[in-house]
Amino acid sequence: MQTKTSLLSRIGAAELIALAVMVSALALPFFVSNAATVSLLTQIMIGVMGALSVYIMLRMDLMIFAVPAFMAIGGYTAAILSVRHDVTDVFLLVAASFGIPFLVAIPLGFLVLRMRGVYFVLVTFVLAEIMPLLLFETPRLTGGSNGIAGLPAVVAFGRPIEDSTSILFMCTALALLATAITVALTRVFRPQFESIRENELLGQSLGLLAWKYKIYGFCVSAGIAGLAGFALVEMLMTAHPSSFSALSSVNYVAYTIVGGQASILGPLVGAALLVWASNLFSLQGEVSQGLFGILLIVAVIFAKGGIVGVVEKLRPKPKASRLTAS
Amino acid sequence: MVEIVSAGLIGLSLGAQYALLALGFTLIFGIIGVVNFAHGGFYLLGGYVAYACVSMAGLPYPVAVLAAALATAALGYLFELLLLERVIDDHLSTLILTLGFSLVITTGIVLVFGPDAPLFQFPVQGVVRFLGIIVPLANIIVFAICFAAIGVAYALIYRTNFGRSLRALSEDRAVAEALGIRARLMFPLAFALATGLAGMTGALVTPILSLTPHAGEPVLAASFLVVILGGLGSLGGATLAAFLVGMIEAYAAVYLGGSKGALMLFVLVLIVLLVRPTGLYGRTARGA
Repeated sequence: MQTKTSLLSRIGAAELIALAVMVSALALPFFVSNAATVSLLTQIMIGVMGALSVYIMLRMDLMIFAVPAFMAIGGYTAAILSVRHDVTDVFLLVAASFGIPFLVAIPLGFLVLRMRGVYFVLVTFVLAEIMPLLLFETPRLTGGSNGIAGLPAVVAFGRPIEDSTSILFMCTALALLATAITVALTRVFRPQFESIRENELLGQSLGLLAWKYKIYGFCVSAGIAGLAGFALVEMLMTAHPSSFSALSSVNYVAYTIVGGQASILGPLVGAALLVWASNLFSLQGEVSQGLFGILLIVAVIFAKGGIVGVVEKLRPKPKASRLTAS
Repeated sequence: MVEIVSAGLIGLSLGAQYALLALGFTLIFGIIGVVNFAHGGFYLLGGYVAYACVSMAGLPYPVAVLAAALATAALGYLFELLLLERVIDDHLSTLILTLGFSLVITTGIVLVFGPDAPLFQFPVQGVVRFLGIIVPLANIIVFAICFAAIGVAYALIYRTNFGRSLRALSEDRAVAEALGIRARLMFPLAFALATGLAGMTGALVTPILSLTPHAGEPVLAASFLVVILGGLGSLGGATLAAFLVGMIEAYAAVYLGGSKGALMLFVLVLIVLLVRPTGLYGRTARGA
């Protein structure tokens, strides 16, 4: 009992629930056989990783739009390694697709994290705009507008991951890894991140090396985005600039804000619901964008905590259970 | 020689468009402290309103441009008054709100006008030849109107009581309000002025460039580049940076081709930010 409470207080209830949900999601591939559902679940897992990347930066009150840029770095790293250098071992590829964006983020972070508030937001948006251009302009490395197609199957424990169910399992495992990393980072550096979010200047004057923790957060956020890029590239079996458009950054921001930015459950719930909803309206891609837009406006005006925040507010009231049940 | 001059002229005309867009963008930030992600959306809406006026209602083009400016200004006014005003002091919330609104505008346009690019041409065709230099007449007209509009915007901000009140609010809101300037009244008007400028630019420029439901995104990105370069909130910086960006884009398109121009701009922005993290004419950003 003693260990249970201390574990709970050390990790936090929301974090434990998130980890439990992701662990149990590992069982999904064994129950789901419908191709459309498998594809939807895989997309949700990728969305979760992208949203977690946004969530980490929001811990420090920084809104990031560069998630697709880091996804592209991670995805292309994996694609180039597997197509050109015959690296198919899943652990090597995962390490590379996390590590390369992480390393790229270090010098980039020194540059962009000097920017405060809105400047940071604008610069990350520009980064996301530039990444597809960079991919188009470097055809020898990235295949330019053709992208890199025909990725060989990733091998895990000597077994190739080929069919869509196995890819779903891999993406779920990646999302679990991303969740675990996020939990570890946000719990270990919680005081520092909160101090930066509440009042960076005050924190600094009390001796907090704010830039150091901002770099940590930025690098891990980039690494998790890289994992999402790797998963996306594996799902599509190709790496193409169109998968990493600047506009898609809005989706990851929407998942996090609509789901709820205050708790790690927010990105999970937001990604699951919004990816599901946009698949529901998949007849017209534009309609789902508009739906995201309306949800963002509603979340900002009426429900600051997003879906998770609303549920948390409703919970203690007896009437609420009827409301959520119906 | 001829090539250099004509690329320069195209750069000037691009610069004038960017200046008009960036003026509105930086005005909203300077006065209200809001990063308007819907700026590209208002530009797009202006283009479509003008298109609808010309092709559906059969109005003459100048009337259509005016209608576009008024319609986007009115929408901007209502958006500020009804939605933005509720979360005005939280910079993250205002950002997400404008982002959501821009998605709604784009979707609305697709639902009403369809996803394909409509045929919307500038009413004046033909070119001007001078010393072997060929410039489309449309570009000259747009350049002249943009230039005049920039002048009017400057006069409005620096020569009228309205502008003085706005600048007072951006300098120090508390003191300005204590002196009797009503932020509640001025903020929606400032927002309307900025979105009206964006809508007018859209109505003027989309017939020359292109009118598609996604024409707003590159415009937003260009506005960002300009205001980052010029320094957020600085009108002079934005105007200067707009012409710089226009020139670089025009020369890069002629001499480098492809998307190298955009890449060069990015490198330029990075260098400027390395040296001056708040832009050429910048001051400290608001918020955390």
